[in-house]
Amino acid sequence: MGYVFDLGAVLSGQYLNWFLIGIATTLALTAAAWCLAMTVGILLTLVRMIPFRPFEWFVALYVEYHRNVPLLVQIFVWYFGVPSLLPRWARLWINAHHGEFLLATVALGLAAAAYVAEDLRSGIRSIPKTQYEAARSIGFGYLGAMGYIVLPQALRIVIPPLINQTLLLFKNTSLAMAIGVGELTYRTREVESYTFKTFEAFAVATAVYLAVSFCIMALGDFADRRLKLEAR
Amino acid sequence: MKRASQLTSVLALGAALVAGATLAAKADQLADIRSRGKLICGTLGTAEPFSFQHPQTRQIVGYDVDICQKVAESLGVALELKPIAVEARIPELTQGRVDILAANLGHTPERAQQIDFSFSYFVSQQKIMVTRESGLTLLEQLAGKKVTAIKGSSSEQGVRRLIPTADTVTFQDTSSAFLALVQDKVDAFCASELILVKLRQQAQATNPMVVIEKSLFAEPWGLGLRRGETAFRNHVNGVLAGLESSGEIDRIFTKWLGEGTVFNIRRDFKIEEIR
Repeated sequence: MGYVFDLGAVLSGQYLNWFLIGIATTLALTAAAWCLAMTVGILLTLVRMIPFRPFEWFVALYVEYHRNVPLLVQIFVWYFGVPSLLPRWARLWINAHHGEFLLATVALGLAAAAYVAEDLRSGIRSIPKTQYEAARSIGFGYLGAMGYIVLPQALRIVIPPLINQTLLLFKNTSLAMAIGVGELTYRTREVESYTFKTFEAFAVATAVYLAVSFCIMALGDFADRRLKLEAR
Repeated sequence: MKRASQLTSVLALGAALVAGATLAAKADQLADIRSRGKLICGTLGTAEPFSFQHPQTRQIVGYDVDICQKVAESLGVALELKPIAVEARIPELTQGRVDILAANLGHTPERAQQIDFSFSYFVSQQKIMVTRESGLTLLEQLAGKKVTAIKGSSSEQGVRRLIPTADTVTFQDTSSAFLALVQDKVDAFCASELILVKLRQQAQATNPMVVIEKSLFAEPWGLGLRRGETAFRNHVNGVLAGLESSGEIDRIFTKWLGEGTVFNIRRDFKIEEIR
C-alpha cells in the first residue's frame, strides 16, 4: 500500500474551516498574551528599579517561578488550580466566558512577562552608569536622565531579545491545546484524528507556524535596523 | 502561489519517500510474520482492563493483550507488545511499525477508509456522565451544552455526529477531561461506559456523578490491520471466529470484565463482522 500525499484532503470544507479558526485563535492568543506580557514586564522592571529591598525580592521571586516551572504546569495551575479557589459564581462566570482562552492568556502572558522584565533590566544595565552620571552632572533630574538619556539607548538594545520573546510566546501558544483552547495545534490534531492524514495536517501547521515566525522575524529585523545606534 | 506549489511538491516528495520505504519492506504480511517469528501488536498499555501494567508483575496485561496472544499462538510465533498513544494508533500501523492493533479501536467509517478492521471482538457502550448537581438526565438536554471527550477518540466524533449543537471540548487524557467536568468547565463527559463507571465510583464521596442510562451509541471494536493484507486478515478473522465457537471468548471476557471485577458486566455481543 503506497501512501498518497493529499493536501487537498485536509484543506477543504470543514477541515479548512477548522484550520482557519485555529490560526485566528493562535494569533489572538499571541496578541493578547503579548500585550499582557509587555505591560506586566514593564511594571516589574519599574518596580525593581525602586530602591526598596522587598520589591526587588518580589520581582526576583516572580522571575524565578516563571523561569523554572514548566510552562505547561503553569497553564494547568491557572486553568484547574486558581479557579477552584474562587467562589462558585465566579467560576461559572469564567467558564461561561471562554475561560480556557482567558486563563491561557493569563498563564502565557505572565510567564512571558518574567522574560520581558529580565530583558528590559539587562538592557538598562548595559548602558554605562557614566551616561546617567553625565546626564545628572549637566543638570538633568532622575526622570530626565532616565527618560532622555538612558531609556532611549536601552530600548534599542532590547529590541532583538524582545523579538525573540515574541517568537517564543507565539510558539508556546500551542501548549494551550492541553486545556482545550482551539488554537492551531489543537485544530491540527483534530483534523488529524478525523482524516488520519497525519503528514498533511502537520505539514499545514508547520507551514503556518513557519510563515508567521518569519513575519515576526522580518518585522523585528526591520525595527532593529531602523533604530540601530550609529557605530561609535 | 508558485511558492505554495513548490512547497507542496517538496512535501509530497518527502511523503512519497517514506511511503516507498515501507512499501518495499513487505510483500505478504502473513509470511513476513511467520518468518520473523514474532507478531508485533500495538496496544495502549494504559487502558484497564484492556491493556495495562499489572501492578505486581509490571507486565502489560488485559483483554486486548489476551486477544493478541491468541493470534500469535495461532501463528506459532511469539507476541511482542508495543505500547502506543491513542492518536498514534493508525500511523503506527500504516507505517508498518506494528503488525496489528489491539488498542480500544472503535470502528468508524473514516477509520475504515484508512485501515482494515477484523471482526469485532468487543462492543463498547458510549455513555455520557454529568454532575449530579447539574440535574441533567436525558441525552436531549445536552443540546447547546459543552461536552468533553478524549482528543482523537471515537467518543469525540460520536458527540459531534449525534449532538451536533453541542460545543465539543477535548483533552489529552481522561483525568483532565474528568477534572474539567468536576470544575463545571464542561457540562458532560462522553466516554466508554467502563471508564465512566470507574470514575463515578472513585469520585462518589466528593463529587457525585450520574451516568445517563441511555447509550449515546454502541461502538464495535476491531483489531486494526493494514489494508490489502487479505491473507492475514482472513487468518485473524478465523482466529476470532474460533474464540466465539469454542466459547474461549467467554473465559477471556469474564476474566477481565465479568463477575469479580470492578466492572462486573455481562457479555451482550457476539464476535462478528462489523457492518
